[in-house]
Amino acid sequence: MPRYIVERDFPTGLHIPVDPSGAAICTTVVKNNTEENVTWVHSYVSEDKSKTFCLYDGPSPEAIRKVAQRNDLPVDRITQVTVLDPYFYS
Amino acid sequence: MTTSSISSEILEREPEQRALVDALDLVRRTGHGSLVLVAGEAGVGKTTLLRQFATNRPATTRVLWGSCDPLFTPRPFGPLLDVADALGGELADVVTTSATAHDAVAALSRQLRDQPGSVLVLEDLHWADEATLDMLRLLARRLETVPVLVLASYRDDQLHRDHPLRLVLGELTGNPALRRLGLTGLSREAVGQLARPYHVDADELFAKTSGNPFFVLEALAGGDAAIPDTVRDAVLARASRLGDQARTLLDAVAVVPPFAEVWLLESLAGEVIEGIDAALTSGMLVATGGGVGFRHELARLAVEEAIPPHRRVALHRLALAALGHPPAGPPDLARLAHHAEAARDTAAVLEYAPAAAARAEALGAHREAAAQYARALLFGAALPPAERADLLERRADACFITDQYDAGIAALEEALAARRATGDRLGEGDVLRQLSNFLWCPGRVGESAEAARLSVELLESLPQGRELALAYHHLASICVRASQWQAAAAWARAALGLAERLREPTIISRAFTVATISEFVLGSGDDLDEVLGKAQRLGGPGEIAHAVDQLVEATMATHRYDLAARYIEDGLAYCNDHGLELTRLYLLSYRSRLALDQGRWTDATEAAELVLGIRRTSISPRIQALVVLALVRARRGDPGRWPLLDEAWRLAEPTGELTRIAPVAAARAEIAWLDGDLDGVDRATEATLELAVNRGAEWHVGALTRWRLRAGLDVDADAPMAKPYLLEPDAACELWLDLGQPYEAALALAEAEDEKTLLQAYEQLQRLGASPAATIVGNRLRERGSAVPRGPRASTLANAANVTARELEVLQLLAEGRRNAEIASTLVVSRRTVDHHVATILRKLGARTRGEATAEALRLGIVGQTR
Repeated sequence: MPRYIVERDFPTGLHIPVDPSGAAICTTVVKNNTEENVTWVHSYVSEDKSKTFCLYDGPSPEAIRKVAQRNDLPVDRITQVTVLDPYFYS
Repeated sequence: MTTSSISSEILEREPEQRALVDALDLVRRTGHGSLVLVAGEAGVGKTTLLRQFATNRPATTRVLWGSCDPLFTPRPFGPLLDVADALGGELADVVTTSATAHDAVAALSRQLRDQPGSVLVLEDLHWADEATLDMLRLLARRLETVPVLVLASYRDDQLHRDHPLRLVLGELTGNPALRRLGLTGLSREAVGQLARPYHVDADELFAKTSGNPFFVLEALAGGDAAIPDTVRDAVLARASRLGDQARTLLDAVAVVPPFAEVWLLESLAGEVIEGIDAALTSGMLVATGGGVGFRHELARLAVEEAIPPHRRVALHRLALAALGHPPAGPPDLARLAHHAEAARDTAAVLEYAPAAAARAEALGAHREAAAQYARALLFGAALPPAERADLLERRADACFITDQYDAGIAALEEALAARRATGDRLGEGDVLRQLSNFLWCPGRVGESAEAARLSVELLESLPQGRELALAYHHLASICVRASQWQAAAAWARAALGLAERLREPTIISRAFTVATISEFVLGSGDDLDEVLGKAQRLGGPGEIAHAVDQLVEATMATHRYDLAARYIEDGLAYCNDHGLELTRLYLLSYRSRLALDQGRWTDATEAAELVLGIRRTSISPRIQALVVLALVRARRGDPGRWPLLDEAWRLAEPTGELTRIAPVAAARAEIAWLDGDLDGVDRATEATLELAVNRGAEWHVGALTRWRLRAGLDVDADAPMAKPYLLEPDAACELWLDLGQPYEAALALAEAEDEKTLLQAYEQLQRLGASPAATIVGNRLRERGSAVPRGPRASTLANAANVTARELEVLQLLAEGRRNAEIASTLVVSRRTVDHHVATILRKLGARTRGEATAEALRLGIVGQTR
């Protein structure tokens, strides 16, 4: 399955509280994802929390956008990626 | 201890049983139907699982059981015949007369609604005939409203790439009513447990059988210490332990799949029928409805293959004679044709195979009809050429409908030679027309046009008749496909005049359709609705589908999207109801293009994905869907557009046909432009633009010329172009908006020089989610030293309540009081998608119920009053 980096902008910052409500948000996102066969691997969040780089496995960019809409998450750019391991070369 | 008692626990498959029980529960509670696909290799225990479930079911549950048969060419509606026997009533009437899958499903659904919570088992679908597969496909689409649990089993290891079942499974993907159960072989441990009482080497047993339950049990039942190497050896070892009578009886049962009626067995085995008890006690045979059959097809095959050839032929002869005079009801033509072939009885094959083919055709099992005609042709080498040509043409017809173009073309070429050999000029002209129609679909356009021309030329030299009217109409259709509207109108008028004189209603309907839509494109004809009216009065579903298809083609070609949208949606509903799969595919591809042009990109991708999930030889819908998906990805800035476009180009380019090539060329130019590759725009447009100019195709000329202009390349400003391509940015934008094409409108504005208009273009592109184009315009603004605003995201712009465009459509339907299932079918999305939309809408509007949501939406003015 192709792998994608999904960039998202959050002008007012992304705030997921570290408590049951935050866990519930993540569970909902993951559940919605599975219905389109999309897997959220993990994300990197910028210092000011205004931008995220999310690593996803999914069948197509359309599937990524579909679940983003269901999850009410913005999508600013989708890039298909492969792994480059620097230590592989040494 | 018998194998059946030790095996029951191990083979019961607790979790799978539970899944089936849960599925039935859900059907009973919700009233929505469900389809469970049970897949696994031969002998893995699919039937055992289903029988177990049927045995343990609640007493009130009705189980209807239908199996597909392993004949060389299966009987049309094979499994449904068993079901109809059990169910009686309307379905029994329908399947014994000449009915289509659509009629059968309608009857079945009504009867199943009267008995909610029934179970319908369809076994061995890898052998299913086409009518049965159509039935499954149609039933799956309406499961929402039919409270039945459908259990469908098949061997997943035997589905080659083009297996008809694979196509159906592809279409079912995404159906919310679908569940899958995959059965795998037994573990080493389970095999060990089974083997323990027999003192055989469990490791060797596992290694040889790979845990296949049928093989394991058969090997153990043979009772030898040595484990047989193959399933076949195991079965034969077991059979050899029975007495001679029972052995002879096994042979007789083996040649008449799927099972032998008692009266048939008497004819085949005579007194030996006494051995039936021994064979049943041994467990190799089981009693079924009206006779006996093998417990498993693998066993039947092994026994059948071991019968000496001369004896096998003799048995088939006996079966042929007996089946020709059944004690009750009409003879079964498909079974007769099967035994006629196996008995090498040429006269019988030539009698029964064409009759079986005609019966299959009447039931919509065209794949089986094609196979029966092929069987007749195989045995009919010595037929007179005229008779052979008749069979060849009928086979070609069946091949055409089932997408077997190469086989159909080969049949027609042979028919053509036969007609020529007998000096049948009329027949020759008619075959040429059919051949031309065939050649076009897989893209052999040049040969197709040549055959059409020859057909008309030849038939014009003979007294005028039906064949000439058809040839005129066909030539007109070829011209439509080539965007040669003037010629199309002329040929269609010629066909219409002749058909009216001959009083041929279906040709009148089709010719009138082509004449009217061609004149519409040329700007003269206007009453398009009369096309549908005439098709309904004079023709059947085929003529109506033809009319819809042509209306959509003409309105799309002229960008009359208001009309096109209506014809597409009404046409899709009609095709869904009547099982017209090929027209449905074309309409879905047009739906995707329409949604793209109207800026509804998610709708566009959903329709395109549907089209790409259905594999057919007809390439036009696939090309269109590939182009749409590639363009949506490019306009959003998403990855993966070039592979799609490369495939579209590979399909379109060799056809030399403008209508197929030009949209791909324009898409390649657009994507090259978005990538900043101006040479790419040149390469993408050059040759195709020349072709479009030669054809006077003003929309294609306009689109391709525009991309060249945007890339700063030279253009021929005098070439004929559709109006919006000739206007200044502001006026062009207005016209594009009137046509309902917002992206084109924004691109028109983007060509302006002044900052205000560019800003407007920038904002429109942002709103559409077209970030790459917006970036290009943004850079232009920055070059001019203007500030570029940070555009709000598309999804937050829809309205006060933050409802997206798609949610708005759902909301409107919701406000009209429609249920989710109805909304799903109206918007042709999955039920699950609608559930999601509704949940989101409730949340965004802060409503707890649908009623509250409607009230709030009306208060905010987001939706209008109920239409």
